[in-house]
Amino acid sequence: MTTSSGNLAQKAVTETAIKIDNLNKWYGDHHVLKDVSLDISEGEIMVVCGPSGSGKSTLIRSLNHLEEYQEGVVSVFGQPLSRDRQSHKIIHQTMGMVFQNFNLFPHLTVLQNCTLGLTWLRKMSERDADKMAMRLLDRVGIAHLATRYPGQLSGGQQQRVAISRSLAMEPKIMLFDEPTSALDPEMVKEVLDVMIDLAKTGMTMVCVTHEMQFARQVADRVVFMADGEIIEVGPPEQVLVNPQWDRTREFLQHVL
Amino acid sequence: MDDLNVKNQPVLKQFVPTPPRPPHKSERGILGTIRHRCFNSIGNSLLTLCVATVLFYLVKHVLDWAVFNAVFIADNRRQCMDISPDSACWAGVISWFNGLIYGRFPVDEQWRVNIGVLLGLVWLLPLMSKRIPLRNFILLSWIGLYPFVGGYLFLGGRFGEELGLVHGAMTCLALAFLAIIYANWILSALGKKGLNELFVPLVSRLVERRIHLLSFVAVWLLVALVIASGLSQVSLEPVPIERWGGLFLTFIIAGFAITMAIPVGVILALGRRSKLPVIHWLSMTVIELVRSVPLITVLFMAVTLLPIFLPADMEFNKLTQVLVAVCLFAGAYMAENIRGGLQAIPKGQYEAAATLGLGYLHTMVLIILPQALRMMIPNIMTSFISLLKDTTLVSIIGLFDIMLMARNIANDKDWVGMHTEPLVMISVLFFILCYSMSQYSLNLEKRLKVDR
Ligand SMILES: Nc1ncnc2c1ncn2[C@@H]1O[C@H](COP(=O)(O)OP(=O)(O)OP(=O)(O)O)[C@@H](O)[C@H]1O
Ligand SMILES: [Mg+2]
Repeated sequence: MTTSSGNLAQKAVTETAIKIDNLNKWYGDHHVLKDVSLDISEGEIMVVCGPSGSGKSTLIRSLNHLEEYQEGVVSVFGQPLSRDRQSHKIIHQTMGMVFQNFNLFPHLTVLQNCTLGLTWLRKMSERDADKMAMRLLDRVGIAHLATRYPGQLSGGQQQRVAISRSLAMEPKIMLFDEPTSALDPEMVKEVLDVMIDLAKTGMTMVCVTHEMQFARQVADRVVFMADGEIIEVGPPEQVLVNPQWDRTREFLQHVL
Repeated sequence: MDDLNVKNQPVLKQFVPTPPRPPHKSERGILGTIRHRCFNSIGNSLLTLCVATVLFYLVKHVLDWAVFNAVFIADNRRQCMDISPDSACWAGVISWFNGLIYGRFPVDEQWRVNIGVLLGLVWLLPLMSKRIPLRNFILLSWIGLYPFVGGYLFLGGRFGEELGLVHGAMTCLALAFLAIIYANWILSALGKKGLNELFVPLVSRLVERRIHLLSFVAVWLLVALVIASGLSQVSLEPVPIERWGGLFLTFIIAGFAITMAIPVGVILALGRRSKLPVIHWLSMTVIELVRSVPLITVLFMAVTLLPIFLPADMEFNKLTQVLVAVCLFAGAYMAENIRGGLQAIPKGQYEAAATLGLGYLHTMVLIILPQALRMMIPNIMTSFISLLKDTTLVSIIGLFDIMLMARNIANDKDWVGMHTEPLVMISVLFFILCYSMSQYSLNLEKRLKVDR
């Protein structure tokens, strides 16, 4: 816990990676994001938690434009994003995402899943792409499974492939939407270990997760959401141990 | 992949699933299977015997008619009748055999048809080998380039006279491509560098970037030039399209329909899902219009209406019109198959592709279509099989395909009224073709199943 607070102190001077400014989103009449504002600095590990339906997924998916929003501005490294080509380029160059249900490409091998973006978008030669992907797969401990297809892997292994696939594009910010929720308890750890390793490398991470152990161990700040609003933001010791609000306290009693 | 095993990286091993356990001893072997399946109770034994008897008589009658009592050598139908009145007279089919296969293609030039069809198969042969370089291009080149070679062989004539110069150039490029595929295949089998890679150092001296592609193009053009100088020496007897016919013509039409079905179908299916209203409505109209009329009417429309819509000085032969019609028809049906496949792809696949930064084209070509097509293999193959059978309808608008040739036998004065035997022969032929297609699709499905 001491290390995480120490990190934050160091990072305090660094640049803002993501700046969310008064984000509002409606599904018809349903107001799912209400005036959400949040700054995430470079290298910060931000954990988002809250009850089901509170808009966590909607928020994180708004950041890389998987969801549209009606009001507000999201800026990445100082660049306000819109719906144009330039913004798309910024998003794809800076952000990677890991999904709850992995979303690996089932018709490609593990290795091909990881090299796809490198060979087709970066125009890297097949050899270099393979080398780079193998290094990443080795880092998450599944290099020996490179020639298998995703259907032949366990959930935990699939999620680690998904992380390598995102990392292959060398993002500066990683978004995780409940990466361990679809996993059996014994596989949760192997994925969390990879995420913890990643956090140590100084990657900026936004994680929607209910793994409070993970939040306490690596998070710099925890955001608690309910009903589309940010109820509480602060270091994990504050939000998770001494919550200021009843809603937070009630929620924590359920998940802990 | 061997070069990946550098230090501290684990060795890549191919994943081999454990085979299932063999069945119980009493169920092994043919006799065991028969006893277990057909004679496992008194009722079942009786039933098996009954069915076997009926089958025996049926098969015996058919064989008597078709083989044992059939006449294979006779000069005309009357002779056949005299020898064996109640059985098949294959002599007629045999004497017309050439016509059934080649239509009215001049006998002296029929070797060109054989060579052309053979070349088409030879072109696809390298696909059998997994390790060949430029694998993806082989099928594409077959679709894009082979028709020119085929057209040259089947039509004959000199370039610049009967055949256009463009056609000539494309033929040379096509033959050169084929030559390179084979040269590279042989070289890679011998463990050597490909033809184009040998050129890399030479080309890299001239230009710095894009070496690989440029050297390939250089080799390609060089070989094409050699072939062009060779081809300019030979001249093939021109054969007008009207003389094409028989199984050969059926193959051309069905082959064209089958190869064009997927590209046209993909374009129509994606068009139908497009958010641009013009494209959406255009694709939808084409699909619904073509799908809701019988193929015969599409064929008639192509032959009678197409010339009216197009400028007067544009002249088309009947075959081109038919090919356009069949292609549209095949594409419209395929579009719906493919759309079904597209709908089955989960939204997460699009999202994952989008977060990697893949654009629309990349997402479709690399992620979505391969999965959608794979999922739809049984349906696609069913469409192909019915296309092959449907193409026999072109005889109605007067193309001398195998059906019309078969009907012509009955009009021959030597074989007046002989309808059954040619039709039986065609049925057997089509059964063989269609059955092998469906077997191939099962094989393909099994091979691609590992991925799921
Ligand atoms: N496509 C949609 N149409 C209408 N409403 C939607 C849609 N998607 C989400 N919502 C609503 O938006 C709200 C926020 O959903 P969101 O998925 O962001 O919740 P969440 O916090 O991620 O929940 P969970 O923990 O269950 O994943 C919910 O009330 C949900 O009903
Ligand atoms: Mg969610």
